[in-house]
Amino acid sequence: MLNAMVMRELTTLMRRRRMMALQCGLVALFTLLVAIRWPTDARMALTGTRSQQVFQLFGYGLLVTLLLILPVFPATSIIREKKQGTLALLLNTPLGPWRIFFGKLVAVLSLAGIILAMSFPAASACYAMGGLSLYGDLWRVYQLLMVAALLYAVLGLLVSTYSNSIDSAVRMTYGLVLGLSVLTLGPHYFFQGTKSYLADLGEILYGFSPFGAMMSLTGAGDVGSKGLITKTEVLGQFTMTSLVLSVIAGVWTISRLNHTIFDQARSQGTISDDQTQSVRFFRRLFFLVDPQRRSSNISSFTNPVMVKEFRCRRFGRLHWLLRLVAICAVLSLGLTYATTAGTFDWGVETIGGIMVVMQVALLALITPSLSAGLMSTERESRGWQLLQTTPMSIPRIVWGKLLSVILPLMLILCATLPGYVVMVYIEPGMKLQVQRVVICLAAMAVFAMLLSAAVGSLFKRTAAATAAAYGVLLSICALPLLIWLGRDAPFGHKTVEAALSVNPIAAALSVIRMPGFQDYSLIPANWWFLGIGSIASLLVLLAQTYRISRPQ
Amino acid sequence: MTNPQQRETVKDIPVVVLEHLTKQYGSFTALNDLTLTLNAGQILGLIGPNGAGKTTAIKILVGLIRPTSGTAKIDGVDCVSDSAKIKRLVGYMPDTFGSYDNMRVREYLDFFGATFGIAPRIRAKRISEVMETTGTEYMKDRFVESLSHGMQQRVGLARTLLHDPKVLILDEPVNGLDPQARIEMRDLLIQLAKRGKTLLVTSHILPELARICDRVAIMTHGKLRAFGTVDEIGRQVSQQRTIESQLVSADQVSNAANIIRQAIEPGADVVEAPDEAIVRFRTALPESELGEVLTRLIQGGIRVTQFREVQTDLEEAFMSFARPQEAIVNKSATVGGAAHA
Repeated sequence: MLNAMVMRELTTLMRRRRMMALQCGLVALFTLLVAIRWPTDARMALTGTRSQQVFQLFGYGLLVTLLLILPVFPATSIIREKKQGTLALLLNTPLGPWRIFFGKLVAVLSLAGIILAMSFPAASACYAMGGLSLYGDLWRVYQLLMVAALLYAVLGLLVSTYSNSIDSAVRMTYGLVLGLSVLTLGPHYFFQGTKSYLADLGEILYGFSPFGAMMSLTGAGDVGSKGLITKTEVLGQFTMTSLVLSVIAGVWTISRLNHTIFDQARSQGTISDDQTQSVRFFRRLFFLVDPQRRSSNISSFTNPVMVKEFRCRRFGRLHWLLRLVAICAVLSLGLTYATTAGTFDWGVETIGGIMVVMQVALLALITPSLSAGLMSTERESRGWQLLQTTPMSIPRIVWGKLLSVILPLMLILCATLPGYVVMVYIEPGMKLQVQRVVICLAAMAVFAMLLSAAVGSLFKRTAAATAAAYGVLLSICALPLLIWLGRDAPFGHKTVEAALSVNPIAAALSVIRMPGFQDYSLIPANWWFLGIGSIASLLVLLAQTYRISRPQ
Repeated sequence: MTNPQQRETVKDIPVVVLEHLTKQYGSFTALNDLTLTLNAGQILGLIGPNGAGKTTAIKILVGLIRPTSGTAKIDGVDCVSDSAKIKRLVGYMPDTFGSYDNMRVREYLDFFGATFGIAPRIRAKRISEVMETTGTEYMKDRFVESLSHGMQQRVGLARTLLHDPKVLILDEPVNGLDPQARIEMRDLLIQLAKRGKTLLVTSHILPELARICDRVAIMTHGKLRAFGTVDEIGRQVSQQRTIESQLVSADQVSNAANIIRQAIEPGADVVEAPDEAIVRFRTALPESELGEVLTRLIQGGIRVTQFREVQTDLEEAFMSFARPQEAIVNKSATVGGAAHA
């Protein structure tokens, strides 16, 4: 019966035309990764340095590909069945929760296996170059990738049991993947070498990230490469942590697969205005802007589509944004204060770098989730058909939708301004740098918004739109950083600079002179790229919106 | 219950005019030369099996689909070339409820009111009015996605009324509703027609349409098969009438059936229902000759308590149009299959 479940899941996944395109794309990508560094002359380095360099790039490429592509499948797996009503049918069969869970898990892992199998020819080419051990290098990289696939597949399934919508499941899963794989490196980067509890915490968190393990495997050195001894047992630590987390998340998911997943009363639409004064007072205190208050009519001067978008979102509502802004403001001021007070000997550049990374992470995580579904949500919920029968023009609808993303992004950008102001006060010479950083971040926000909206508008389903938008944006942010990881060897300064010039994160970090990025001059090239990219995305968005609005 | 013919709102002003409307998708004809007119204050029931072209016709009227040929006008405004004006003239309720997550009913109506540019103060008043009309006041704070299907249909109707359109186009408004909700929706539609709205309604639930519609259009395979009042359509169908004879005793059913078979056209349908002590038959005989049939029954010792004509209802009319088409389609499918074989 488990077999039937796996077959159904895999057949559903594999018979899509997009999967075929994905597999062809992956083969091309992996071939390209190896071809970039394939020796072009007849001489051979007996030390195997060249193959190590190719292997390093290949390993990171494979990991990033896996993390970008895989999570969307488990994330949508259970919630999609719940929405379609087939989960109720499945739970009503003698399969039992654990068979359903393992069926879905094995299907996702098989897909991961297929993705990895696509890389075998490229891996063989790396091995053929010499200097690589079959067990010590190749096998261990694939072992790391399978463990990472297992962890993110189980976490995706767990998130899927808690989500109320497909796109929120995708958003939460990608947030979790980003948090576990990238943000866990932060404390280690900043506190390594110090003797504090923060350094110990950094060590523990470092073991959660597959990137840390990959760095130690491919011999890329420790994150930040501060001249310290690289940890050697990172792979073991990552494997152990991942297996433990997978077991916990797996048991948790199985315990959710029963009647309780449906056992929810319909919302009765409680309104704070109808409650007692004390309840209203506490809600005001807790939420600042109570989402359950009775909203007023949309004013004549406001774009109704913008208001509708705000009201439709759970996360996009004002109380969430205010909390987010407050956290950003407090963190940026706290970091700046810590430097001023001499708590950390980081220097203004590093603090600026942290703030940039924080903001960029927020922008990269939030923008696609707000922007990708602007058109697809309407089409999926059949609201687009209704909008078409209203007298609103297409540009006004698109503008209203974009406004609903611009305003939260502006709030997020403005939230860290106090930190930058304090920074300029401490180091007045940084005024120009800070101005340029703010421009970089604003340009990134606009680019990320328009790109996500344009990519998302090509899809009918919100989950696919969100996943594709995350994939494209994170690729633009992550792939140049892969090249950057190979700076000096195998890539030269010019190659790295050219690759980074399309990356908005790198541009902001180079402007603030963050260690590792201070040698690259990325603006105005990056601004040109973002500007042209934004205009192209806007044109795609408008063209696609006109296309779907045209009478058939 | 108000009979459609009893409503006083019917005027002879054509509001919806379709002329030779055709829509083709490649070689497939979704709508074939549809011509009909609907007057102000009337309710038109558009019926037909799945794929008959009802929704295509409706979508052309609201500007979501362009016809391949022909014209569609509402209140003299062309649905193709002047779609901006059409949007204000028409209230359209599709067969699926377009809902938004995390939006309360009042917010939902407020949003659509704002898209029509209704000023906030007037909008608030208008929302209260349409909520009262559709009986949705009590659910104003509920989230739209948490409403039952019947409630959503009511909210959908409230949305279509917001900008006070002249014509309401409702695609399957009673589909999936329980009997009580269906009756309530029916009464609501009658109320709206009384207020001068012109309604075009599609439905699969034929008795509902028969009760409320001034005009009925039967469509199959993209073509209009019949158009008129329910009675007119019944007459088109009933070249043959169905006569029912109620007997005192079930024992006489068989004898009665034999006498009838001898009295009417050879090969005509005669159905025996011994459980009900009834014999039904279809015939094209005139009234005078029907009397002769009754005389023969009585002379044959059959004790008859009732001898009456059964009125042709919409369902029967619909089936009489739909069946021959189905037969044609099935026949051509068989021929095609045989050819392939």
